[in-house]
Amino acid sequence: MNLPLLSIIVFAPLVAALVLVFVPSSARSTTRIVAVASAIVSLIGSLIVAVGFQPGGGYQFREKYPIIESIGINLELGVDGWGVSLLLLTSIIMFAGSFATWTLKERDKEFYILLLALVCGVYGVFVSLDLFVFFLFYEIAVLPMYLLIGVWGSTKKVAEAGPFRFLFRILDIGGKEYAAMKLTLMLLAGSAFILAGILAMYDAAGLRSFSIEALEAASYPRGMQMWAFPALWLGFGTLAGVFPFHTWSPDGHASAPTAVSMLHAGVLMKLGAFGVMRVGMVMLPEGAQAWAVVVGIVAVINVVWGAMAAMRQTDLKYIIAYSSVSHMGVVMLGAATLTIEGWNGAIYQMFAHGLMTALFFALVGLIYERAHDREIGNMGGFAKAMPAIAVFFTIAGLSSLGMPGLAGFVAELMVFLGAWKGPMAWWALAGIFGAWVTAVYVLRASRAIFWGQGPPERYTDLSDPKGPEWVALVVLTACLILFGLVPGLILVDIDQTTTQYLQLALDAARSGGAR
Amino acid sequence: MNATALAVLVYPLLSFLLLGLVWPLRQNGRLAGWISTLAAVASFLGSLRLLWKVLEGEGVGSATIPWLVADGKVIAELGIHVDGISASMLVVVTLVAACVQAYSLGYLADEPKADLGRYFTWHSLFIVAMGGLVLAPNLLQLFLAWELVGLCSYLLIGFYWRKPSAGRAAVKAFWVTKFADMGLLLGLIVLYATTGSFEWSTPVPAAWAVVVPALLFVGVMGKSAQVPLHIWLPDAMEGPTPVSALLHAATMVAAGVFLIVRAYPLFEAAPPLLLAMTWIGAVTALVAAVTAVVQDDIKKVLAYSTCSQLGFMIAALGSGQLMGGYFHLTTHAFFKALLFLGAGAAIHATHSNSIHQMGGLWRSTRFSAVLFIVGAAALAGIPGLAGFFSKDLILEELLHAGQYGPLAMLLLSAGLTAFYMTRVVAIAFFGPASEGAAHAHESPPSMLLPMTVLMVPAVLAGLAGPLFAGLWNQPYHFALTPVGGLATLAALSGIGLGVLRYGTRSWASPLPEGPRRFILSAPIDSFWLAAWQRGLQPVARGIGWVDRYVVDGLMNAVGWLFLLAGEKVRALQTGRAQDYVLGVLMGVLAVVAYGLVGAA
Repeated sequence: MNLPLLSIIVFAPLVAALVLVFVPSSARSTTRIVAVASAIVSLIGSLIVAVGFQPGGGYQFREKYPIIESIGINLELGVDGWGVSLLLLTSIIMFAGSFATWTLKERDKEFYILLLALVCGVYGVFVSLDLFVFFLFYEIAVLPMYLLIGVWGSTKKVAEAGPFRFLFRILDIGGKEYAAMKLTLMLLAGSAFILAGILAMYDAAGLRSFSIEALEAASYPRGMQMWAFPALWLGFGTLAGVFPFHTWSPDGHASAPTAVSMLHAGVLMKLGAFGVMRVGMVMLPEGAQAWAVVVGIVAVINVVWGAMAAMRQTDLKYIIAYSSVSHMGVVMLGAATLTIEGWNGAIYQMFAHGLMTALFFALVGLIYERAHDREIGNMGGFAKAMPAIAVFFTIAGLSSLGMPGLAGFVAELMVFLGAWKGPMAWWALAGIFGAWVTAVYVLRASRAIFWGQGPPERYTDLSDPKGPEWVALVVLTACLILFGLVPGLILVDIDQTTTQYLQLALDAARSGGAR
Repeated sequence: MNATALAVLVYPLLSFLLLGLVWPLRQNGRLAGWISTLAAVASFLGSLRLLWKVLEGEGVGSATIPWLVADGKVIAELGIHVDGISASMLVVVTLVAACVQAYSLGYLADEPKADLGRYFTWHSLFIVAMGGLVLAPNLLQLFLAWELVGLCSYLLIGFYWRKPSAGRAAVKAFWVTKFADMGLLLGLIVLYATTGSFEWSTPVPAAWAVVVPALLFVGVMGKSAQVPLHIWLPDAMEGPTPVSALLHAATMVAAGVFLIVRAYPLFEAAPPLLLAMTWIGAVTALVAAVTAVVQDDIKKVLAYSTCSQLGFMIAALGSGQLMGGYFHLTTHAFFKALLFLGAGAAIHATHSNSIHQMGGLWRSTRFSAVLFIVGAAALAGIPGLAGFFSKDLILEELLHAGQYGPLAMLLLSAGLTAFYMTRVVAIAFFGPASEGAAHAHESPPSMLLPMTVLMVPAVLAGLAGPLFAGLWNQPYHFALTPVGGLATLAALSGIGLGVLRYGTRSWASPLPEGPRRFILSAPIDSFWLAAWQRGLQPVARGIGWVDRYVVDGLMNAVGWLFLLAGEKVRALQTGRAQDYVLGVLMGVLAVVAYGLVGAA
């Protein structure tokens, strides 16, 4: 039996989206069942891939369908150790996410169609072995966000203060339309850089092929690498929240509806970091080596800057959004070390942060739905009315501050181990300091929301999760604990791929690009 | 795998999982308490058996499973390491834990059921974490467990989570210890980078031989409350008294001392660090002892006393001798836990923490008063009781190492210790009759029984000296040397001074008003608070502001520029067909011209 597993995983959401087109909008439960069914299909597929992945690295579960052969574009799929773990992550989050918006009322059919299209794009990026298709999927994943935020976003405007109040009013800054527009424009500007980089590689390799394997084996002139790598880094990096192009994230995540925030911070930001590593660093090793110091220093800024900015936020969603900026900095820091520990840690951090931030946004969604408020200064004593949410929030927070036993610690430890061995040892110190600041803002938020007397009387409909909402929280929390205790489940696969890629990249860089 | 050692961890682990996952069980607070307590008792019996076996020379060694990989190789392992040190420490931890949990059943009987269930869940987790710390086969696992006991501490300090002060104390404890743990984590990272493993036995290259243990020691200073990172421990008294007894007196705070004992091969290679440790320990012992003298809150006195005694241990380890420090760790665990439980009984009876509200308690709660006084005597160093032997050993070791400065400071601290304990006993039990004591009742048996159990080792543990000497294959025979005589003299004069000052039932201030005010103003706390309020917070505010208005402002400005440019470029779209045809024509010409040039 040779099922095209990867195609099933990638296109199950697309098929479900097409089916939904023909489902009447009034059939609410059918809509949800179709979405969850496709999420389950992809989840099972990812689990089979993860279990069936053979030791020894390389691409597995390969498929190939020609698209435009004359210029070498094929729908070529295959998965490596990185892809396995990120497929699994996407499946888990999509599964949890489709439960998290169960109570959505307005235009829910269209919402699910766009969400499913987005997920199809995400899966596609992680398993594409063709750079053109990779980019195509990347855009499919990024674009639906505009509508998802613009239409279904939070209507709560951010109260503007500060010296530029009037400007913010004129430009309508802070609304969901503004957030959606800003996010899309910034990410598309990034895409332009990516496209330039990809085309440069296609051209310089001169193989008339977009096959990633072929392009990987090709050699590129140093001069071209020196500009193409930063183009890819900044292009993909915008999606990964690389400083200073992270500013779409706080507004975007604050305005996005729950499931969209979960997917966006949980998975989409990883596409960016994955792109930097997979396309930028592995394929342009000389450029990567030359620029590693810059990438690393910017990553350190991300870690500390994001954490410090999160410390002063009072809006719950902004806190979590800035924490994503900080944690994605840890991913980029691991990548910049160009060490095995660092790269393992970077991929593991994508996985761990994905789970953790998805859980966070699911919880924030639930809290906002019940409290109709996101200002933590107004809250207090919520643990009395929502004890389970308090527990889940604490677990998510502990993972984000690097508590052993939860997935975040494994990732941070490996990144820091790599950082000390990397180009500049002090990066490790900055990373550790960032983790401490995380402890400060996470526990501060948790105390402000859940501890103390209360809850204040104006919050009348506080309650613990109901029905399907439990699924998202339990699944994500269980995964955080499981992958915190037994990292070997995916780390072994990640490590094989890392070892292989890093060896390739270092060899290539040493031999001056001539392979 | 050593099944006996594993069993010690498995009982509390099962209890934790049961209470954590089975929701109705946790909601029924008392049942949860019994399950957790029974698991702790089973764990204690298991560790007794383990110690017995180890003393017979059985089952010593370690067993590990791989945990992290890099480059196809295992870089980190988890497992258990059994030897005399871990087996004896386990007995101490589980005995105190079992007593404290049983005591809690009585002490917290009136708390809401759900809170009680949670309380015992965390207690079970604590035994697992502490057991994992004690049995750690390498520094990485020690660190993992170290963080987990810190988590338990945070959760248990916050037991009264509705009280704002408890919430503040919980996060303060977490932040301060986590701040210090940055050093520990960095130490681990450098250790890994220089030796390729997390073992404490692999020597670190000379260039890093001081740096690595020094970084580890920063973590120790946080966890074991050494000046100036001790500021969280007095606040941690916001937690329930049994929690203070177990975590913040007997076991968790001693984890730092345990780490040094474990990783001593690394510390040994850094003589300058050892010297610094001796001084830091001695300063902590003295500063904390002086601070304890002026406290009126019985738990604060005991908290500063714990700081002070931890200072004794650290100073001893710095002198190059492990035995005294580790011996004192165990005896201190027993009598300090006993003291806290005794203080809890007094608080339970009078509903107040202030020793002045307890005056005359001797008449109503005679039995628990006796237990408290025995604990106080052991702490003060009355010859024959546990504290005397271990403290004496520490002073001997310092003398032996020629550390006369720290030795003098510790002797002074020993005298102060005797003085402040006498003050507490004199005021709380024999002082002027107070409102609270008038209505006080003796504690229930569920509280008295565990205290009585703890009293036995608090009195007798001093006789276990030869056992501890055996851990390091050293000879040990007790002899009253001049130093021991001096220590006894310091203790007796401290007590004498206390009796003189407070025996006449006066309310005298222990120190002149000026110094008293200065100490109570908590200058070290103020320093950290200023660093927090005037250092970190303004920077965070600044970064938040710059991010919002400058960085994002630039992004918005770029967008604005494009809009403006669009306004200008719009002029090209004239709407007249002739203009567009002209444009197309120019384009075609350009393409043709390019083709011609290319062909030529």
